[in-house]
Amino acid sequence: MVRDARPWTHAALFGCLWGCLELSLGTVLHLGRVPLKGLVMGSLGLVCLVTLRRLQPRPGVCLIAGMVAVFLKVFAMGGLYPGPVIGIAGESVIVELIFTATMSRAAGAIIGGALALALNPLQMVLMTWVVAGPEAFRAVVNGIQAAAARIGLAGLDGQSILIALMVVSGTIGGFVGGASWLLAGRVLRRLGRAP
Amino acid sequence: MSRRLGWLLATLAVISIFVGRPLAPWVGFGLALAAALAVDRQVLGVVFRFGLLLVILFSSAVAGAAVVWSSDWSSGVQVAAAMVLRLLVLVIITTLLARNIDAEAILRAGEKLGMDRLGLTLGLALNVMPQLVEATRHVVMAWRVRRRSVHARAPSVLQLPEVLLAHVARIADEAAAAAALRGHAALLQRPVAVAAATPVVVATGRPGGGKTTAVDDLIEDLRSRGRRVVGILQPGTFHDGRKVGFRVRDLSTGEEAELARMVTREEGEHGTRFQFSDEGFDLARRAIARSRADDVLVVDELGPLELRGQGHMPAVERALAVPGLAGVVIVVRSQLVPALLAALEVDDAVVIDVTAAGGTARLLRALRLRPHPSGR
Repeated sequence: MVRDARPWTHAALFGCLWGCLELSLGTVLHLGRVPLKGLVMGSLGLVCLVTLRRLQPRPGVCLIAGMVAVFLKVFAMGGLYPGPVIGIAGESVIVELIFTATMSRAAGAIIGGALALALNPLQMVLMTWVVAGPEAFRAVVNGIQAAAARIGLAGLDGQSILIALMVVSGTIGGFVGGASWLLAGRVLRRLGRAP
Repeated sequence: MSRRLGWLLATLAVISIFVGRPLAPWVGFGLALAAALAVDRQVLGVVFRFGLLLVILFSSAVAGAAVVWSSDWSSGVQVAAAMVLRLLVLVIITTLLARNIDAEAILRAGEKLGMDRLGLTLGLALNVMPQLVEATRHVVMAWRVRRRSVHARAPSVLQLPEVLLAHVARIADEAAAAAALRGHAALLQRPVAVAAATPVVVATGRPGGGKTTAVDDLIEDLRSRGRRVVGILQPGTFHDGRKVGFRVRDLSTGEEAELARMVTREEGEHGTRFQFSDEGFDLARRAIARSRADDVLVVDELGPLELRGQGHMPAVERALAVPGLAGVVIVVRSQLVPALLAALEVDDAVVIDVTAAGGTARLLRALRLRPHPSGR
């Protein structure tokens, strides 16, 4: 008797794809100190998660894919900087919860994408505090405030800047989530599985 | 024993990263070194390489410089030193993991912890990595061959992710078939158990061919013979002659509710073209739960949602386990018959095309009903 193992093999494969992207492109961007690397990698992860959920709309698959990607990221030689690992885990949990709550609809991709990427600046702040310590964290906040003052936003406190960054990231995440949903639709049609 | 101690030290080293005390990075570094010596000494040779150390020093220097700029020299040096140590701890532990854990170890750990499915999934991900890399290489190569000039390549670059994702899905399908053949039970859906000696009849036929009508006739016939029929019917709802959704009817009470409304593909729920109503699912669950011994259970119909274990399936699963049911009639589209038969733990289900002539009569015969307790 052949029963359906596809949800879990899809989760393994899409998690593996995400993990491979993190291992290769993610490591390059991280070591190259490329700006917005978290946003780029978060968006690629979102494409993997949304496509997976549209192909296999079964609760739990995004979570498993996230665990696979975390697992592979941990294997990156010298790449266990905890930031991306926490980012991947957080993104998969958020996307899973939102998709489950919205019954795997397009709205889930947009809301999940927005929330997942909005987490990015928060994660950056948290990891700076954990790895570099509170002194370095304060230095980064001072630097951001100085940069904000130069573009005419003097007097903004760290919290306001963080919220502004989260809103911008979230908006981008919403767009990426929506685009990923459409891309997943094209993948479904290419596979001949469109409902 | 020393390996176990080594892994314990490695865990403590990772925990030390999150401790804010000034001595914590030094303690963590010491623990990580001890762990490497206990588990795998060669890790140290891999970690202490010029290139890697340069990257760590550069990252820490940037953080230190930021602190010097915002406060003073001594704090900057302290922060940079702590960061060097924390990054070294992370690199040592990662390398330890990477060199000592393979797919087999993950499978064993998964089994030990009672998480077979996660273990298999992680093992599969590790094993399939080379195939994934190869698939990516083929996709890019095919794209370059088909679009020889840079001018022609530019617009088609957006197709690359689409093709790659489709390839990944195909590899996942192949992996699912392989998992089934190898009997990896943890990856497979648990089959739905049917109570012994309950005749199961699968009523199928082409879409729009009159499956629900045939089953409705069967229900009338059974009732005229004094049989109690429980379960659900899902008549379609139509607008301008076009099917726009489904209602669900409780066969015991005649109560009805809207179950599904057809929407665009983008708005559909659970990967379908429908939006579902909780009220409809609740009514169906209550209707199916009325199954008792000597009843005929009718479920019209099970779709892809149910075959993934969602929708009506949990209620159907409970009902099929009721001992002494006189018979079960399940309606599915013809293309879902193999998936339904695979999902049920039953040896001799009868499949009948009810849209062909005499469908209702054949359904009745296939049920092989025992004489009714009332004698009718």
